[in-house]
Amino acid sequence: MSQPPELEKIPTARPNEPRDKATPLAPPDIIAEQQMINEPEAMAADQLYGTAPPDDKLWQETAGGYIEGTSLWKDAWRRLRKNKLAVLGGITVILIVLAALIGPYIVKALTGATYESIPSDRSLVRAFAPSWRHPMGTDPQGRDILARVLVGGRISLMVGLVSTAVSLVIGVSYGAIAGYLGGRVDNIMMRIVDLIYGVPLIIIVIVLLALFERSLFLLFATLGAVSWLTMARIVRGQVLSLKHQEFVEAARSIGVPTWKIIFRHLVPNTLGPVIVYATLTVPSVILQEAFLSFLGLGVQAPLSSWGTLSSEGADNIAIYPWMIIFPGVTMALTLFSLNFVGDGLRDALDPHMRKV
Amino acid sequence: MIRFIIRRLLLIIPMVLIVITLTWALVRLAPGNFYSTAKGLPPAVEKNIRARYGLDKPWYIQYGKTMGQILRGNFGFSRQYQEQTVNEIIWRTLPVSATLGLTAYLIALCVGLLFGTLAALRQNSALDYTSMAAAMLGISVPNFVLGPLLVLLFSLTLYWLPPARWEWAVRFGPVGIPSLRYILLPALTLSAVYMAYIARLTRSGMLEVLRKDYIRTARAKGLSERAVIFRHALRGGLLPVVSFTGPALAFIVGGTVVVERVFSLPGLGTYLINAALNRDEPLLLGLAAFISTLILIFNLLVDIAYGYIDPRIRYS
Repeated sequence: MSQPPELEKIPTARPNEPRDKATPLAPPDIIAEQQMINEPEAMAADQLYGTAPPDDKLWQETAGGYIEGTSLWKDAWRRLRKNKLAVLGGITVILIVLAALIGPYIVKALTGATYESIPSDRSLVRAFAPSWRHPMGTDPQGRDILARVLVGGRISLMVGLVSTAVSLVIGVSYGAIAGYLGGRVDNIMMRIVDLIYGVPLIIIVIVLLALFERSLFLLFATLGAVSWLTMARIVRGQVLSLKHQEFVEAARSIGVPTWKIIFRHLVPNTLGPVIVYATLTVPSVILQEAFLSFLGLGVQAPLSSWGTLSSEGADNIAIYPWMIIFPGVTMALTLFSLNFVGDGLRDALDPHMRKV
Repeated sequence: MIRFIIRRLLLIIPMVLIVITLTWALVRLAPGNFYSTAKGLPPAVEKNIRARYGLDKPWYIQYGKTMGQILRGNFGFSRQYQEQTVNEIIWRTLPVSATLGLTAYLIALCVGLLFGTLAALRQNSALDYTSMAAAMLGISVPNFVLGPLLVLLFSLTLYWLPPARWEWAVRFGPVGIPSLRYILLPALTLSAVYMAYIARLTRSGMLEVLRKDYIRTARAKGLSERAVIFRHALRGGLLPVVSFTGPALAFIVGGTVVVERVFSLPGLGTYLINAALNRDEPLLLGLAAFISTLILIFNLLVDIAYGYIDPRIRYS
């Protein structure tokens, strides 16, 4: 069984490849040591991830005593660009977001249809199969499904983004505080997370949304509030491994307040894994919103989301199949692309987490 | 091991209490009542109803009474389905959801394991790429879209399988066992996501294990490829799949809610939603308590199974 290429490529430290232009002529081991002092994170990251680019140009520049360091981000970007599926996914996501933002205006300008407009001509108030005028057909009220899918996309994407932001804020602060304070506080805080993790939250969410008056705000808050747990765990782990490093000690020694150390010094350093996990949270939240809307617990009429459209489509599947095919395919395409972007980001930012 | 199980079993009680308490609090905080009508009731009638259901007592007495009943396993009468106790409803609907969930999980396990292992054994082959792309598709297509599409294809176009009718499934099945023909479509719909996850997890787990030294040792001492894979590799490669079973169960509960709605099956999920929408407090609390206990017990079983597969894990 052959080794996967990624693992073979991970180099050990390359001592004869000086990377600091200030000390081009020092012996390699001293350079390595100085690098450890000058940029401990970059060095550690390079050794860990093997990100030092081995191309010839760089090598020649190095020989001339001049080199430009490659940051983790630049390097991740380079790796992400090489991942064709992730790039394709990213382009698709951008196109879908653009379509959701400006699409409804174009549809209105071309056909005069908005997501809630019911034609005044009574003979048009019925479901039409897809045609040039209505590329995705119309629903039994004669409303244009394309316009509804586009507006639904706005809601779905907005729910995805806002709820992910809510979960980010809660999860990152919670995890960072627990990790930095450590000791008993950490123990209690993480026990609470374990406890909530065990509780079947889906039941609570269904009950909450079924009982209270449905509003977008409640939806954002609920979905955000149930998806922060993993984020808190990830951030806590990162902070635990960072908090004993010199830059934290330096900050503490000059009297930086604790909250500032946490949010100014530690949190920005956890960004990599946080971004990856947040990217993967977006599709899962969109899916949950659609799931709740499908059950009639999410977005309410006359607004449409991909979930409510699928629900209307599922009710009419035998007679008007286009009512579910188009919203369903749009949604699947979005989730598909977002998942590929998330996977690509994970591989790019942290090759160790890569699913070999 | 015994101590571990007992401790975990004891931990289940506060967790279920959290769920019930939250549910109870939400029912009380939410606007509206189970007896409210569009017209509104005369005050005298309303007073009588409140007295009949003990709603005139202070909240802590109501809470204590409800909790006491639930902890004794008696959930009382449903308010929406008069004359039926919550326990009756649970025992009637459980077989529907259980059949659906178990069939789905079995399908997912068989197909997922098969394709995950094959993909790992033939890494970077066409089979690998195809099955992983299919898995990504399975994760991305929501089950409430997949279900109707399957019905459209298999029932309404090809006429191969009936769109599920639970009564018919029971009537046309062998005695006591529902006919597979009728639950195949819902079960397939429910299983797609887990199939995809299991295939992905198996593949990555197997790829990692196949590179281990002990596999090379097994090959070196001349074991057949089949023995290497089935006796040695699968055991280690399956760990991520086993640990996924816990989260999968929670998802399956959510999934059955949707699939039951798509295929109009009278299962636990359907009743949970209806109970919440109709403010049917006893039924809602009973179902919440029952479902969460079920999930927590299954999680415990998964943890125990984990120890059997991986002897390195010790319970403390």
